[in-house]
Amino acid sequence: MKKYVWGRVVRAILSAFIVTVIAMVMIYTLIPRHLIFKTDPTYQKLGGKADDRERYKNTAYERLGYIYFDEQVDMCKAYAADSVEACNVNGSSQANEVAEKYEADGWTVKQYKAGGYYAYKDVPIFKIVANFFSNLIEIDHPWRVNDSSNPDLKRRIYFGTDYNGVPALMGEGTKHKYLIYFDGSFPFIHQNVISLNLGKSYPSYAYTDISKVISSGQGTEKSTMQKFETGSKTKSAVIQHSCTYKATKNLDKLDKNKFTDNYATCDTTKKDPSMIATSMTFGVLALLLAYCIAIPAGMLMASHKGKAADHIGTVWINFMIAVPSLAFIFFGRQVFYLLGFPTSFPSLGAHNIKSYIPAIVILALMNTGSLMLWTRRYMLDQSNADYVKFARAKGLSQSEIFKKHILRNAVIPIVHDLPASIILTITGAVLTETVFAIPGTGKLLPDAINEHNNAMIVALTILYTSLSIFSVLIGDLLMTVVDPRIKLTDDGGAN
Amino acid sequence: MTTNQEIILSASDVEVQFTVRGKQLRAIRNISIDLYKDETLAIVGESGSGKSVFTKTFTGMLESNGKVTNGTAMFEGKDLYANKTDTDWEAIRGKKIATIFQDPMTSLNPIIPIGKQITEVIEKHQGKSFAEAKEEAIKLMEEVGIYNAKGRFDEYPFMYSGGMRQRIVIAIALACHPDILICDEPTTALDVTIQAQIIRLIKKLQKQYGYTIIFITHDLGVVANVADRVAIMYSGQIIEYGTVNEIFYEPKHPYTWGLLSSLPQLGIKGEPLYAIHGTPPSLYDEIKGDAFAPRSDYAMEIDFEEEPPMFKVTDTHYAKTWLLDPRAPKVEPPAQVSSLHERMKQVIAEQEEH
Repeated sequence: MKKYVWGRVVRAILSAFIVTVIAMVMIYTLIPRHLIFKTDPTYQKLGGKADDRERYKNTAYERLGYIYFDEQVDMCKAYAADSVEACNVNGSSQANEVAEKYEADGWTVKQYKAGGYYAYKDVPIFKIVANFFSNLIEIDHPWRVNDSSNPDLKRRIYFGTDYNGVPALMGEGTKHKYLIYFDGSFPFIHQNVISLNLGKSYPSYAYTDISKVISSGQGTEKSTMQKFETGSKTKSAVIQHSCTYKATKNLDKLDKNKFTDNYATCDTTKKDPSMIATSMTFGVLALLLAYCIAIPAGMLMASHKGKAADHIGTVWINFMIAVPSLAFIFFGRQVFYLLGFPTSFPSLGAHNIKSYIPAIVILALMNTGSLMLWTRRYMLDQSNADYVKFARAKGLSQSEIFKKHILRNAVIPIVHDLPASIILTITGAVLTETVFAIPGTGKLLPDAINEHNNAMIVALTILYTSLSIFSVLIGDLLMTVVDPRIKLTDDGGAN
Repeated sequence: MTTNQEIILSASDVEVQFTVRGKQLRAIRNISIDLYKDETLAIVGESGSGKSVFTKTFTGMLESNGKVTNGTAMFEGKDLYANKTDTDWEAIRGKKIATIFQDPMTSLNPIIPIGKQITEVIEKHQGKSFAEAKEEAIKLMEEVGIYNAKGRFDEYPFMYSGGMRQRIVIAIALACHPDILICDEPTTALDVTIQAQIIRLIKKLQKQYGYTIIFITHDLGVVANVADRVAIMYSGQIIEYGTVNEIFYEPKHPYTWGLLSSLPQLGIKGEPLYAIHGTPPSLYDEIKGDAFAPRSDYAMEIDFEEEPPMFKVTDTHYAKTWLLDPRAPKVEPPAQVSSLHERMKQVIAEQEEH
């Protein structure tokens, strides 16, 4: 069993890897690169200034990992380290020499209109892929930070106490100050040692870490009274446990008022929940509601096969399957509007329960059709089984047979799909979220594709693929719990 | 051989009809038979003759499109057919009349431990606690021949072989302490060696628990082993019944002759095995005369016109054929049947030689 599960995990990782590589190769080789600027207002504004625009464009490409980009000063540093200043004069012989060397190395060397060389070279696709995966999982360690403006930086990991005096595993020279720490939010122990680096979002959420885009709070900052290391007490939204290293040259007065060291780049508490949290709140609650309605309803239909309850249920199933989702969402929204609920999420915001009810109920009802259909089907299949006949011959009552025998068997396929249904609520519900303007993950992927936010597409690909594969695995593991006949082994249960 | 002549179940004029695609089908046509306490009655007949349907009426387990349209089945002074709903039947099923079905592979719930499937019956019918029920279940498992019953109590059906599952099914049936045990082809799905073991087990436990058996089979070899009395069914009727010896050695109905002649165990090497030609009549149509007449080599004109009554041969032996009418010509049964006794001795002797 253990061996089998590990095998599955390895295969799952491999599959996610292959899918992501294919997505990356397609995106980075087939889609024209300049499209990323299509919706970038800064780029559009620079239309009249060719040099600035060129510099802006190449800088963006470089940050996103498309190209290597050197301007004249960088070129000089590379090939004329001892005479950088002389080389950096436009039209100097050193500059020309350096440019020739760059060209010989396969770079495209060009000159700005205002003078001065710049050179760029494509990063090969395999390098892009390799970079993505080698940076995917970041492990924090004391040699992580390189700060030329702080040569005396100590490097160590130690047990200390945080700003509240609570014990924590801390680091110096690490990216994060608090490596393992405790706080009042679930699951109470948290870590910053391992983090997922899914790349940077661009052009939307410009250059923000994608993992932060989807998992950090949204909306305006929410300040609370906090005590800082310097002893100062101020109202601030800073999450001190999240602070990361800031180079000494960038530290300002405000930082120094709060912090005694370089760890001054911090996340902030936001008023509204993150995209993932929003989508999962809607998704999981809708799912629970759907199961609570559909499973008893499906069972009722099965036990009253051919009678009124069954017919009514069939009408409902047909209705739910036949009506287009979008029509149903708008219809439901109108009904809820007449009942006094808001027609869009932001009008009352994330902290009013009324914002949630319409979309949750609509999502749940949309799920009930097929769930009822399958529950009814599974129950009927089991009711006709021989063991049910024998149970009746044993003298068990109809309700005993139902509860002790049929239900347990019928629930097996439902259990199998449950983890996937729950986990995949992370991907959001595109239509419902759009109609109600819910700030969830549903629109992330379509928006990313429209805006040519290529890094986001890749990140979501690997995220959603992994989640799908692993939720199937969890479903299979859960099956072994409810069905003793199923043993997960490589030899098909021979041992 | 039964010495006790107390009647435990008395069925008279039972008729069962099914509605199939809007048409009425008469599956059981006026059967009357008594079941004596502690005996083993074998009901023999080919597929579709109504063996299972007839016994299913005693526990109200007919398919939903089937209905008892006439007759009574008196049991403990009451007519069983007065029970209508599943709730009515609960007092009978298991507790009074238990059934063992053909296929042990699917008779047990695949995802509930074996032990629990036995204890739930004990808890239900005897009102015992789980601990007591478990003790009794283990005892039952040992009695039906499960080795290491305690250790195997929590195992699942898929961990048991077919023969062992049928033993468990028997244990469950016994856990009900029934008065009547209906064995609906309990050995058909098992291989020959296991068949013999299971039959021996059912017989052994009959002495111990004192139940009456209705044994449904199409295997006359099995009948000879288990039964005190035999009833032969054809097209929804019992056409002959009597003690085992009477049926095997002095059969009167041409259909019984045909059945006995086609016993493969009694075939002689090199000679073709006898087979009854033709097929049974459709039960959708009104059957005129003797249902077996079109297939019978001994059919007379009257057989095609009027249904024969039950003729009494002895106090225990009855047959439904015009051949027994005093006006009928004297007909000798085929040679295979009249020499059955000698042939059987011969076969047994041959088997012992090997």
